[in-house]
Amino acid sequence: MDWIAPMMVALPLLAAIPCWALGRKKLAWGYALMIAMTALETAAALWLLARGSTFSIAFPQIMGLGIRLKVDGFRALYAAVAGFMWMMTSLLTPAYMAHGHKQARYCFFTLLTMGATLGVFLSDDLISAFLFFEIMSFTSYCWVAHEQTPGAMRAGQTYLAIAVMGGMAMLMGLMMLYQQLGSLAFDDLAQLASTPGTSLYLPGALILAGFGAKAGMFPLHVWLPKAHPVAPAPASALLSGVLTKVGIFGILVISSRLFFGDVLWGNLLLGLGLINMFLGALLALFSTDLKRTLACSSMSQIGFILLGIGMQSLLGEHNALAAQGTVLHMLNHSLIKLCLFMAAGVIYINLHQLNLNDIRGYGRGRWGLMACFLVGAASISGIPLFSGYASKTLLHESIVEYIVHLQEIGQSALWYQLAEWVFIITGGITFCYMLKLFIALFIDKHPTRQAEFDGMGRSMTALPAIALGGSALLLFALGLWPEGTLTPLANRTLSFMHAHEPAHAVVFLAPVNLIGGAKSLLIGLLLYWLVVRRWLMGKAQEGRPYLNRWPHRLDLEDSLYRPLVQGLKQLGIAVCTPLDKLVDGFLGPFVWRASALLASMLGGVERLFGPLYALATFTARTLEVMVDGLSVVLVRTILRPAGEPAGPPPVGNRFTHSLGRAADRLSLGFRRLLGRGAQPPPRYSVVFAGIWHTMQDTLRRLLRTLSFSLILFALGLVLLLAYLLTR
Amino acid sequence: MMLAVPIALPLLAGAVLPAFRWKRKAARNAYVLGMTVLASLLLAWALAAPSQEPVELLRFTSRLTVSLKADGLGRLFAVLIAVLWPLTTLYALEYMQGEAKQDSFFAFFLMSYGVTLGIALSANLLTLYLFYELLSLSTLPLVMHGGSGASVQAGLKYLYYSLGGAAFAFIGLVYLVYFGGTTDFAYGGLFTQVDIRHSAQLRLGYLLCFLGFSVKAAVFPLHGWLPTASVAPTPVTALLHAVAVVKSGVFAIIRITYFSFGAALLQGSYAQHIPLALAAFTIVYGCAMAFRERHLKRRLAYSTVSNLSYILFGALLLTPQGLAAGLMHLVFHALMKITLFLAAGVYMVKAQADDVRDLRGLGRSMGLTSGVFVLGSLAMTGIPPLIGFISKWSLGVSAVTLGGALPVAGLVALLISAVLTGAYLMTPSFTLYTARRAEGAGEPEPLGLPMRITLLALAAAMVVLSFYNQPLLDFLTRTASGLM
Repeated sequence: MDWIAPMMVALPLLAAIPCWALGRKKLAWGYALMIAMTALETAAALWLLARGSTFSIAFPQIMGLGIRLKVDGFRALYAAVAGFMWMMTSLLTPAYMAHGHKQARYCFFTLLTMGATLGVFLSDDLISAFLFFEIMSFTSYCWVAHEQTPGAMRAGQTYLAIAVMGGMAMLMGLMMLYQQLGSLAFDDLAQLASTPGTSLYLPGALILAGFGAKAGMFPLHVWLPKAHPVAPAPASALLSGVLTKVGIFGILVISSRLFFGDVLWGNLLLGLGLINMFLGALLALFSTDLKRTLACSSMSQIGFILLGIGMQSLLGEHNALAAQGTVLHMLNHSLIKLCLFMAAGVIYINLHQLNLNDIRGYGRGRWGLMACFLVGAASISGIPLFSGYASKTLLHESIVEYIVHLQEIGQSALWYQLAEWVFIITGGITFCYMLKLFIALFIDKHPTRQAEFDGMGRSMTALPAIALGGSALLLFALGLWPEGTLTPLANRTLSFMHAHEPAHAVVFLAPVNLIGGAKSLLIGLLLYWLVVRRWLMGKAQEGRPYLNRWPHRLDLEDSLYRPLVQGLKQLGIAVCTPLDKLVDGFLGPFVWRASALLASMLGGVERLFGPLYALATFTARTLEVMVDGLSVVLVRTILRPAGEPAGPPPVGNRFTHSLGRAADRLSLGFRRLLGRGAQPPPRYSVVFAGIWHTMQDTLRRLLRTLSFSLILFALGLVLLLAYLLTR
Repeated sequence: MMLAVPIALPLLAGAVLPAFRWKRKAARNAYVLGMTVLASLLLAWALAAPSQEPVELLRFTSRLTVSLKADGLGRLFAVLIAVLWPLTTLYALEYMQGEAKQDSFFAFFLMSYGVTLGIALSANLLTLYLFYELLSLSTLPLVMHGGSGASVQAGLKYLYYSLGGAAFAFIGLVYLVYFGGTTDFAYGGLFTQVDIRHSAQLRLGYLLCFLGFSVKAAVFPLHGWLPTASVAPTPVTALLHAVAVVKSGVFAIIRITYFSFGAALLQGSYAQHIPLALAAFTIVYGCAMAFRERHLKRRLAYSTVSNLSYILFGALLLTPQGLAAGLMHLVFHALMKITLFLAAGVYMVKAQADDVRDLRGLGRSMGLTSGVFVLGSLAMTGIPPLIGFISKWSLGVSAVTLGGALPVAGLVALLISAVLTGAYLMTPSFTLYTARRAEGAGEPEPLGLPMRITLLALAAAMVVLSFYNQPLLDFLTRTASGLM
């Protein structure tokens, strides 16, 4: 049974290549495989969730550091959510990408990302999480860059740059954490962190930067509003819905284990969450592009989740509400964005446009589409009887609980009351921009193309209808009776966050909670009438177009990050290029000139030695000739044997005799053969004897000359040297 | 005596190669490849014997001998070379098909193999120095092979740098003999108990020796020969200037740091800080210059400059953990860099793509090469679970464990370099698939079997090593602690 966890991670990774190959042959098969794989994963995760199993499994040999996986309530829930979202978006993809390009490649990277994402969710130590996190960053890049338009490539560049730099910061944090704690397994972290002498803020901040970049946390959020819109809508749903939650997963891990009950950390996350939610909501309000609005809305909702995590740390042991709220808001937001982005996808399939001014009025009379969109919009706005209301109530309650706690111990709760107001106002802004979208799509009329829109056929074919309808239905069902569906799910996940079940159950439809929700909705309505209809929409004569009034220069990426990176690059080049020139320009010519000088000096020395060498050679030769000549002169004069007569014929020895006789016989035979009778043949024995005699004589003379002696002397020296060397 | 055979065989085989009159190219190719493989097999056989005694080849005095020994570090380097050389020779057989003077090329290629094995198996610094000088000489004709003015200039620059470096290294040799009495390698160094009066001189001697060997190890500011040497044919740059020559420099530095002068002498002194600072600077410098370079092989050459300093950084931390991490990167980087260079060579010779811009859109038509190039780039950037990440992680943990300003600064340099590596390697990798080919660019030629086999083997090795590396890591840890 343990093998389910690694199989859930490995199967999509392994199935990616067959899916790509199949998709190249016939797209339908590729999609079928993808849908089948996602369905399988969802089923497996749901099964694990239903059984409530908890187990872990480790592979110590891989990668030198080991991979550890674990399944528990939280992980099974989120694996099920991820699987469900992948399955639904896979159902939408064939219709969305019809006539699109490189569909097989899209399927390939979708499956890879699925495997990597499940790997992060199922991981049990920070190194495994980092491994799958990096893989996921790279494979999801291909979603962002898929359309290969200039905008997509630029957004992809930003996405990748932030992912890589966040990854490096996280790596540094992980190394520092490892050095301090000695282990990065989730189970060990809490215990090791409580040992005194550990300073965990710096590594914690670095790891937060890494995971937060993926979650879209301020100030590393700049890629989110640009990357989510340019990706295909199914991929946008996954990017917003699941991949941001991967970042949140990491932040949850370190918050609940390293910084449990830490006030500083809690306040940090609370502050960042507030900035995120307010800024995201503002950006969404001002946006006139459907998908960009939804992307900024994601950023805002991530702020809510970060607020929840912050409250968890602040509330310490009593953080049940905050923990429940965090998990439920993660769950809700994933499903909400699934619905909304898929609805946007359906609109794109039909109209190929996403600007509000171009698509307004398309939804008039399309009840199915409207119902699905309504479920998502109502949920995110926090309208009672929809699921988002439950999670927002829990989060609100956690802030109130903390305010009460502070007042009980006599400390000032001013900041937190302010935070509560920001929470409520942001809830209002959320309702406002969702209302804006809803009205624009389903109530407004298009100034010119309304008749054309009404004439268009059904907006969804079978598969997209199942996908969108199924998601909306699930969301609606979860919201109707939160105490029965959402709360038990949340309670299953509490052990992951080291939280306990709340002392008393929350009644969601209690008056105090309803009043809180109503405050947000009223503010939202007010904002809509005052801000949107008065200021963000144009003149009635032009058909009241939606205006984009967000100041162009207020883009953090273009005004800060890109110039900063460019500046660093220029700085690096400016520093290194002169150094390089210095080395090449100074060292090189220096070496050349030094060696040239040396060569000329050596040449001079050689020239000096030239005459000396010639002199030495001449002397040696002269001496040699002299000595040999002297010996020759002596032989011919003083030492000449007196009157050498002809002498008897040379004697030779047995060898020369036998050889000579043999040669005689041979030559006789040859003569007879060749028929040269006349001349008498020479006597070879005599000839050979003569040769032998001459040889002996010459040898005797040779042995007596000086040159020979010198040669032998030199040979002896060489042998001596060789002996000394090899001794 | 068996240790001398794998060294002598390629040397002699290469030396006599030009003497034969080769009627058919295939015969000569078979000879070259056969000798290389035979030498690798003989090395494996020689190393299988567990003997640890040094084998004396020549004896000048009782203190100065030329001997061979196979300890853990030597085995590691020798096996690395022995595995990569036959593969590169196979690749070179196809790469050099159209070139001139192939006989002399392969002769020197073969000889360099023997010399590099000699460096790996040296038992003392004198032997190392001997083979080190021989390596400069035997690789010089390979650098100058092209015969053009640029090649000759590159060769001369290489020669001057190498000889200058060797001269400085010689100073260290003299110091060792004078103060230590011998040049033998012993883990922990020769100076475990040394006089205070002498330690200052010894540190100076070490620093000079380090600077000398750092020419081949391409440490700023003595790295200048390496990018210029990229004009050599790709098998030369790949094997020699990414694996053999530069790793010999790093190997020599590890030998003098841990086995001659010793970590105890150098720890905490300027003799550790200055080289460490140089290494940390070179890490970022190499990447910055690589980022600016447009020529593919020069870019990879600067990347080598940077990565060698990773190894030196790990080694100069002077802890067994740091040395193990450095050795990990030595092995993994050799594999990754040779893969990248060989892929770049395929692009250059089959698609005439010298520049990074020429790589655009080649992903479709050169599937195998591009896949291998992307895999190598991902590994080099340090993306888990590939091998580059494992060594980077070990280096980082060693630095953080040691603590102190300079190691942590080096760690930051490492991470900056990782980002830059992603920038200068992943960007061309992406444009392979996402951009379009330039107008009028011809179709690339198909790859022959030798190149295919080589690229596939290297890619497979990288993947397998990513997942199954525990025995290797254990071996490295034991070697770094002096237990082998």
